[in-house]
Amino acid sequence: MGVPYIPVRGLAGTDVFKRRDDMIIAPNPFDPTEETVVALAQNPDVAILHALRADRDGNALLRKHGEDVMIAQASRRVIVTAEEIVDKVTADDEGGEYISAINVTAVVHAPGGAHPSGVPGLYEMDEEHIREYIKASQSDEAFQAYLNRYVLGKSEAEYQSMVRAAPVLGDG
Amino acid sequence: MGAKANTDELLAVLMSREVRDWETSACGAVSMIPAAAMLLAEVTVAPNAEIIILGSEKLDRNLGKDIHFLSQRGKLDLFFHSAVQFDAEGNFNLHVIGDPNAPERRLPGGYGSGLMSYTAKRILFFRTEHTPRTFVEKVDFISGAGKTPPEIKRPQEPFKIFTTAAVLRFDRGPGCYSLESVHEGYTAQQVQSLTGFSLGDISNVPQTVMPTDEELRLLRTEVRDRMIETGTYPEWARTVLQPA
Repeated sequence: MGVPYIPVRGLAGTDVFKRRDDMIIAPNPFDPTEETVVALAQNPDVAILHALRADRDGNALLRKHGEDVMIAQASRRVIVTAEEIVDKVTADDEGGEYISAINVTAVVHAPGGAHPSGVPGLYEMDEEHIREYIKASQSDEAFQAYLNRYVLGKSEAEYQSMVRAAPVLGDG
Repeated sequence: MGAKANTDELLAVLMSREVRDWETSACGAVSMIPAAAMLLAEVTVAPNAEIIILGSEKLDRNLGKDIHFLSQRGKLDLFFHSAVQFDAEGNFNLHVIGDPNAPERRLPGGYGSGLMSYTAKRILFFRTEHTPRTFVEKVDFISGAGKTPPEIKRPQEPFKIFTTAAVLRFDRGPGCYSLESVHEGYTAQQVQSLTGFSLGDISNVPQTVMPTDEELRLLRTEVRDRMIETGTYPEWARTVLQPA
């Protein structure tokens, strides 16, 4: 959208509002009797988004029903990881939400890359792993152990072989 | 009234009577009881109701996150809402139990409760218990405020809370609760003692009209079948909507 802030109906008087400094209550400039919460635009430096398919130019099919396209448009740089690299992705392709290469900085072929989350039609969310992650996130020590086990010094292939018994479907 | 409703059926039947004909009513994802309530209303009190059941394969109206904007535009007449705590000020909590910085439990209220509860015209809350841990003096986290200054424009209709013991009503003007009715097996005094704040004058509280045989029959046949056919929590419908 490229706007500096956006009005939001709701949230006034809640503790959500109290815990954030990127939302304030401001008058409606067109109606002095009204106030709304206004939320500061969120513009991440980098967004990493997982796609069903992407082509080498950067056109991609992102998750449907999510906020992925909006996040991509709001971010300064966008890295798309994709289950599959194909010759051409167009706005008419089905199964996901199209994003034009104009918004994408880089594409990475990463089959299974949504893990421990899932990709509808390809693989399910790995609930067991998510439980492990939540447990690990309860303390710094446990989280460090998690990182040592799965992330630090590990390649993507090593990670995938650790977390997946079955081969990933849809490998392009 | 021979048949006896289980907890979920009881709440579904009582809330079905609140759905109004020709209005647009909706519930969010993982909301089995309101889904059953709206489908029961369609075959009883509100045959022309527009209903939206997020999380249903066929009855989600392909809305997804746009439900927020539908509501923000003022097009949603009734929304069913859950919460784990309510307090004397009409605030509810669907965020965290315990200290927000080190919560005992995190809940899904961060997603849309602070918007839906300010924009839908009427809100019905439901809770499958009626206990002092639910009705507290002060909620651990305010996910939605009962009262807001007049500059914050929002529908001013009272909201209701349906529990296993009673129906509570909160009027935003005076900013206080009243006991609308108490269910079979409870007295107003008992409900007050299970509630961690004052329910006001409880000297003349009517008894809830409990589910009728016909409402229960429809729930266990037509509504159950429709939930199964439309991919609306079919497993829940199969196991819950039936005699004990």
